[in-house]
Amino acid sequence: MTKVEVKFRLNGASRTDAIDPNQTLCDYLHDAMGTTSVKKGCDTGECGACTVLLDDLPVASCLVLAPQVDGREVVTSEGLGTRSRPHPVQREFVEKDAVQCGYCIPGMIVTLSWIFNHVPEASDAEIKRLMSGNLCRCTGYLQQIEALKAARKKT
Amino acid sequence: MKSFQYLAPIRPFEYLAPNTLAELLETIEGHGRELQLIAGGTDLLVALKERTMAPRTVVDLRRLRKELGGISVDRGYLRLGAMTTFSEIESSPFVARYAGALRQAAANVGTLQIRSIATLGGNLATASPAADSAPPLIALGATVTLLSRSGPRTLPVQSVFAGPKRNGLRPGEIISSVEIQARAEVRSAWMRSAVRNENVLSAVSVAVASSVQGGRFGPSRIALGAVAPTPILAETASKALSGSEATPEQAGRVASLAAEDSRPISDIRASAQYRKRLVSVLTKRLLLQIISGSVGP
Repeated sequence: MTKVEVKFRLNGASRTDAIDPNQTLCDYLHDAMGTTSVKKGCDTGECGACTVLLDDLPVASCLVLAPQVDGREVVTSEGLGTRSRPHPVQREFVEKDAVQCGYCIPGMIVTLSWIFNHVPEASDAEIKRLMSGNLCRCTGYLQQIEALKAARKKT
Repeated sequence: MKSFQYLAPIRPFEYLAPNTLAELLETIEGHGRELQLIAGGTDLLVALKERTMAPRTVVDLRRLRKELGGISVDRGYLRLGAMTTFSEIESSPFVARYAGALRQAAANVGTLQIRSIATLGGNLATASPAADSAPPLIALGATVTLLSRSGPRTLPVQSVFAGPKRNGLRPGEIISSVEIQARAEVRSAWMRSAVRNENVLSAVSVAVASSVQGGRFGPSRIALGAVAPTPILAETASKALSGSEATPEQAGRVASLAAEDSRPISDIRASAQYRKRLVSVLTKRLLLQIISGSVGP
């Protein structure tokens, strides 16, 4: 199996690598790139724990083949904000206690920050439709929607 | 830190990403199932992990997004490139205007994370009986353009479906685009039934394309998904609907005929009997929408 050259941007930084093609973007980001916010849940595109932005669109990184990242821009939850300057949605997740076990949270944050940035007028029903690809098995969806709405109010 | 693996690791393969359409067609010429194309990858990745597919070569279409993507209206046809994503379809004003049923289906495919990358061509090539894009395309009389080194050929969209998860493409062929006649008078709508509203495969889906003038239905087509080995045109129901009186009673009669046109099986998503019933219920609801004008244009 021939390694594949990839050049892409990860959380704003340029990366060049030679990689095995038979791996998912989820595993590659988590294991090789150290962006461990990218969680593997179902590994079949149902749960959204592995959600990242690929060219500013939320995708299930477990359904992306790692070499497909070539020439593209990837943002993970780490790239959305920092501890001192969190994304408004990250900040409100803390404020609203929108976290229980935490495993779904990075993916949830990626999706909700995308809704915050791109669909600012989304109704409750539309928010629910757009976040249906992020499952929380602690079933804490209400606080997360509240967090998104609080973030909107403060900007 | 290494993530756990509970599905088997993906078997090794050679990975190619051709730069031009000519290079792509040359690469895939004469190859069968040992070579797989990847567009969005949302079906292929699952098949690789479950090892229902173990290709020796994977050919990525990502550098051909320009040649194989895009939505346009030209010379009376709405044209959708095979690499158009469901998110693009969902938000296209052209699709909303000329193919309302397709827009509705696209907005319900998978989840946001799937629609961002999953493509129309990939949905057709996977050839699932439950492919959500198929009933709208069949109802709208769409054709599919295939490309190979021996040139293009055009087929009615149903012909891409050869059997459950079996497409009718010849070795060396790719899906290039889908064309739909752009007629402003056509009203089309889609509906499905499933165990929940989102993030789910359809137990039954139905699409209707018709028009209403002077109290009668114009030429009409009703198409059904997940109730036969492939998505199908409900032929008896479509014939009965075309030219008939646009009344709720007629909608009920045609809905029963649509149920008779279906050939469902029982599986984890629904029983055969329940599916037949759903075909009738969904068809009637769609026809009532078309009569009332609550769906486009």
